[in-house]
Amino acid sequence: MVDLSQYLPILIFLAIALGLSAAFVFLPMGVARLTGAHNPDAEKLSEYECGFPAFEDPRSQFDVRFYLVAILFIIFDLEAAFLFPWAVSLDVTGWPGWITMMVFLGELVIGFAYAWKKGALEWE
Amino acid sequence: MIQVLAFYLFAALTIASATLVIMARNPVHSVLWLIVAFFNAAGLMVLVGAEFIAMLLVIVYVGAVAVLFLFVVMMLDIDFAELRAGFVKNFPLGMLIAVVLAAELVLGIGAYRAGSLELGTPDGSAAPLLGKSNIESIGALLYTKYLFLFESAGIILLVAMIGAIVLTHRERKGTRPQIISKQVRRRPEDATVNVKPEVGQGVQL
Repeated sequence: MVDLSQYLPILIFLAIALGLSAAFVFLPMGVARLTGAHNPDAEKLSEYECGFPAFEDPRSQFDVRFYLVAILFIIFDLEAAFLFPWAVSLDVTGWPGWITMMVFLGELVIGFAYAWKKGALEWE
Repeated sequence: MIQVLAFYLFAALTIASATLVIMARNPVHSVLWLIVAFFNAAGLMVLVGAEFIAMLLVIVYVGAVAVLFLFVVMMLDIDFAELRAGFVKNFPLGMLIAVVLAAELVLGIGAYRAGSLELGTPDGSAAPLLGKSNIESIGALLYTKYLFLFESAGIILLVAMIGAIVLTHRERKGTRPQIISKQVRRRPEDATVNVKPEVGQGVQL
């Protein structure tokens, strides 16, 4: 079990964030209700959606390239996650650890060069 | 005391949200409950002192994997009413898979309890470093003793990347990509002309 009191600042920040976001949502609503005229009708309460129909079936054919971008994001995300323990333990692992990470990064640079060369990162 | 309270809070929320993942009618809601389950699992990891694993859960699972799930669930043009109609038909197969998995679990734990599994005795070579955080201990092991496994992970990521590109990338004709070197090379003289049209004449381009 870990000493949880060191997480108290995070809890305080969470509480502040929650309080502020609640204030930003509910304060304008309350002020508008108290100061403005309040007589809604069906048209006023309908969703404004820039000329599109507000409600339709969300499932439609998407381009598969969105998926490719998401997969590439996961791979580079994992690569970045491996960098954290490497960076803090370099004083223990020394040069062998450094070379290990450079080989690992080299492997992913090959993949990155391939993705770039194939135009997988190109949009239009 | 507060650890015990936090443990039961996170554990109960994990189990509740995991149940809601499979009970939710809308698959998008399932994915959102999965994200809640991941967050609570990260809380449990913090409680046992594995901060790095907790961070990985939030960054990789919530940030990337769940988003990918959401992507797939929202994008695929699937008629979920039709899928649900196949529930009764696929029920025996699903039960069979569940029974097989449960049997494997029981067998594995039973074998371990009976002492027939040799997991190796700790010889202290993987002990956490004194006076260092555990992320530092992970790094000290991962980049020295388990170097080969780490590099293999890199190869697997490379294969995954190339596989994803090969499977989904199509060459598109008629695209007009940005060629930055060409943009930079272009001088004002190439792009503009100075003309002096006569009065009453149009400009001839």
